[in-house]
Amino acid sequence: MATKTVAFEIKRQANPDAPAVWEKFELEWRPGMNVVSAMMEIAANPVTADGRQTTPVTYDSNCLEEICGSCAMRINGKARMACSALIDNLEQPIRLEPLSKFPLVRDLQVDRSVLFENLKAVKAWVPVDGTYDLGSGPRVFPQQQEVNYPLSNCISCTCCMEVCPQFNEETGFVGAATIAQVKLFNNHPTGAVLKEERLRALAGDGGIQECGFAQNCVEACPKQIPLTKAISDVGRDVLVQKAKDWLRG
Amino acid sequence: MAAPRIIVVGGGLAGLAAVIKIAEAGGTVDLFSIVPVKRSHSVCAQGGINAAKNLKGEGDTTDKHFDDTIYGGDFLANQTPVKAMCEAAPAIIDLLDRMGVPFNRTPEGLLDFRRFGGTLYNRTAFAGATTGQQLLYALDEQVRRYEAEGRVKKYEGWEFLSAVLDSKGQARGITALDLRTMELKSFAADAIILATGGIGAIFGKSTNSVVCTGSAQSAIFQQGAYYANGELIQVHPTTIPGEDKLRLMSESARGEGGRVWVPRKPGDKRPIKQIPEAERFYFLEEWYPKYGNLVPRDVATRAIHKVVYEEGLGIDGQPMVYLDLTHIDRETLNRKLEGILEIYEKFVGDDPRDVPMKIFPGMHYTMGGLWVDFNQMTNIPGVFAAGECEYQYHGANRLGANSLLSCIFAGFHSGPNALEYAKNLPAAEGDGGHGAELARQAELNGKLLKNEGTENPFRLWRELGQTMTEHATVIRYNKGLKLADEKIVELLERYKKVNLSDRSQWANTSFAFARQLKNMLELSRTVALGALLRDESRGAHYKPDFPERNDEKFLKTTKASFTGDIAGPRFEYEEVDTQYIKPRPRSYGAAK
Amino acid sequence: MATVQQPAAHTVRRGVQPLRAGQGTSFIWRKLHSLLGIVPIGAFLLEHLLSNFEALKGPAAYGAQVKFLNSLPLVRVLEWVFIFLPILYHAGYGVYIWLRGKSNVVYYPWAGNWMYVAQRYTGLIAFVYILQHVIRQRFMGISLPENPYAAFAKVQHELANPWILAFYVIAMIAICWHFAYGVWLFAAKWGITPGVTARKRFGYVCAVLGVVLAVGGLASIWAFVGGKYPNAPENVPVSSLTVPANAGGVSI
Repeated sequence: MATKTVAFEIKRQANPDAPAVWEKFELEWRPGMNVVSAMMEIAANPVTADGRQTTPVTYDSNCLEEICGSCAMRINGKARMACSALIDNLEQPIRLEPLSKFPLVRDLQVDRSVLFENLKAVKAWVPVDGTYDLGSGPRVFPQQQEVNYPLSNCISCTCCMEVCPQFNEETGFVGAATIAQVKLFNNHPTGAVLKEERLRALAGDGGIQECGFAQNCVEACPKQIPLTKAISDVGRDVLVQKAKDWLRG
Repeated sequence: MAAPRIIVVGGGLAGLAAVIKIAEAGGTVDLFSIVPVKRSHSVCAQGGINAAKNLKGEGDTTDKHFDDTIYGGDFLANQTPVKAMCEAAPAIIDLLDRMGVPFNRTPEGLLDFRRFGGTLYNRTAFAGATTGQQLLYALDEQVRRYEAEGRVKKYEGWEFLSAVLDSKGQARGITALDLRTMELKSFAADAIILATGGIGAIFGKSTNSVVCTGSAQSAIFQQGAYYANGELIQVHPTTIPGEDKLRLMSESARGEGGRVWVPRKPGDKRPIKQIPEAERFYFLEEWYPKYGNLVPRDVATRAIHKVVYEEGLGIDGQPMVYLDLTHIDRETLNRKLEGILEIYEKFVGDDPRDVPMKIFPGMHYTMGGLWVDFNQMTNIPGVFAAGECEYQYHGANRLGANSLLSCIFAGFHSGPNALEYAKNLPAAEGDGGHGAELARQAELNGKLLKNEGTENPFRLWRELGQTMTEHATVIRYNKGLKLADEKIVELLERYKKVNLSDRSQWANTSFAFARQLKNMLELSRTVALGALLRDESRGAHYKPDFPERNDEKFLKTTKASFTGDIAGPRFEYEEVDTQYIKPRPRSYGAAK
Repeated sequence: MATVQQPAAHTVRRGVQPLRAGQGTSFIWRKLHSLLGIVPIGAFLLEHLLSNFEALKGPAAYGAQVKFLNSLPLVRVLEWVFIFLPILYHAGYGVYIWLRGKSNVVYYPWAGNWMYVAQRYTGLIAFVYILQHVIRQRFMGISLPENPYAAFAKVQHELANPWILAFYVIAMIAICWHFAYGVWLFAAKWGITPGVTARKRFGYVCAVLGVVLAVGGLASIWAFVGGKYPNAPENVPVSSLTVPANAGGVSI
């Protein structure tokens, strides 16, 4: 029996200044293979389909359980997590490309630090007084916890930003992930103390108004976070805040 | 005098906890992490975090938590720090609650608690099935707040290479590698805290994340730090073997009636459904008729291991056995186990309602680690350690939901201690050793980059993983452990001929990995040889040839120190602090 | 601190800039764009479509409606402030929004993404149409404010050209589509329908609205070309008027 193989086409770019080239790989098929294990295989034997020596593919990865958010890339054109991309469910040749909206570092690795900057800009934290023992936290009813928990599941993979037609260098749009975090922290009894600041921040250039409501974010989110609902809710809050600010002068 | 400058290496729970305490006390912190800290391995923890809050009216106390932890760890943990941890736990939960962790709630709006292994009390606070993620994010957010205030500077995408030690052997900073530009640089600090997690990667595949190589611990070990109880590795009985890693399959699958079996005929090629009942070997049910599939974790682990490695009955000759739920109707399965069955479906692609799951025990947690004193400081002055990378809180076996607690507690503990140490540190003489250490690292890097040979580092790593998993996890024989050490020595020799398929100076992952590999190999010897020397069975460490615990000889902490010699590390033993609870036998039937 | 190895010379591009928290005025301009689409532009559209409906009653009724509208106080000011300028702004800013977005429906052919694209194309069609419509019907040829009863014939002559007729039909559908989805978007983005169910249900409402408007609009077109009023007189003689006095009741 001839060995079953898996065909890959990977977009390679040695550094931000180098030209992008496509490399083809032919790997032996193994049951349960996913995109990450295929790249581990290439690292152990970095030879292209036409027998040329090459370098292991550079890409981000860590937990491989779709919870750390590292391994987002475009697989057959679509942004998704590589660790949960099973080979048997993909059309071949499997085309791997880096996320297109973020500055390229090398191969499939991009710089997604803009998300963390955005989280800073909206003060996505609960401003506790200190870490010394101040007793238990505010009471939160299960119904509220059930709203907040999904929002808190955001793994910062940036898929929602990658697939958003409005997230680009022209708009400097903040993206759905950050907006959902604003909702999360505004919902928290103590976090709400910064609510007005967060809402004003989101009315800045690149803020929530740039959303075009194509709803790709909610389709692409690997954690099924209700992003469009968050955008809608926060959109209303921002508007009300701006109106209040205007009336107060 | 300027405010002390502390370097924290590692941005998981322990590292972030330390950063928060230091920043809060007015110190400034440089935080180094290979990955953005929000992507650290702590994110993977599912179950929960223990604290004897006694919110269920059960009369739970921190003393009972302390006793459960010590007992669960088979009395190998020093009791003073464990006691302190259990006593601090309720306040830690409160703090996390105040920080906004979306813990599950009771109808009254209070924290909900559930029961976990190794205890009789509802002591585990949890946030859905992603408690680790939620805790990590809460600390990450606080650190981001300090970062915005300028108290913390993050170096994400930098890998720690070594400590910079002055002429007196005190820490004066670190050297680190920018994984993007490949720049080697040294950073000054008055104290450093390592919070670099577990060592899963030396077992090849484990439940750990990719960055859990133990490279940092090994580097500091090779600079003179003791590595303690390296042989104590926790294996989880049911993990899903993947091509890239092992993923946890919750014990509840067995709890709901899952049956573990293998075909009686080795390498049986028939489709699963055509294998008649009589030709299926339900080995847990046959060997343990009383408990059946619900034998305790370690027993299950050992039985699976035996069936595969000693009887050669793994599915298709692979190290896997079936965990079968297909005899239970879909509706029941969906009602009780939907979440975990979805994980299996997502990562394996098979529906466990139709096809038996394939599972195997997997390396899960590193109980051992850098030796530290009760102030979290290693024997190198100024080098602290906290979290899974140190040895202090779990003895010979970790209790479920104690890991998140120990990480945060140790982090909180180490931060102020490091600050205190740093305040009393006299100024460095000369450059504090920075020049020499940088030169040493530059030489190592240069040599590796130019090295000519035939060995691929990723393939050497696979061989290491196979050896370690086979000989140094579940069932340990001295013969096997010797073989493992010989293999490591061979790999160290072959490492000298390592050939990087990538010699570029930009985001070169092979280069970074090859550096880690050397450290993994050195550290592996402390695991294999530490296990070889511990001729007893205790907690997760099990030797069929020495099936009993031997308190007289081995109620001791193993301390390995690096020699650089082919004979391997030097081992010495230290008395365990047992001042509060007298060691008593730990029986499988009673707890866990 | 010292460096031994020279860092590589490459630099990573800057990429999308972070949120400029609280800075700039784009929020107000974008919200203005959004609001103007509903009022006055949307409101005017409804008025216009209802007025068009008068055409089904014949040239005289239609002419009376035009006359009524032109008799509103300050009508020239109203026309500019509530119609021309808002449409110009809505269209201009809309094009600006379009140019800054980057459609990816090829890779992500999801319903919302298609609608995102459709909203841009229907907007463009609407704008081109409105531009020529206003120029040709309002500012060229016989002046309707002065000769309201010439309205029917003026439109009929226009629609006699099959190309122009086709354009009117397409534009009618595009405008109703753009408006109906615009209402839906407005509700979603202004937080009126945050929930998935709310958005879905309101989606049905908007779909019905769009279809009703489009069918009504097409029916009005039919009134001009359907043959019921062939060769309408250039200017309906005042004597033949049979318009009820309350004809204006339908407007605004």
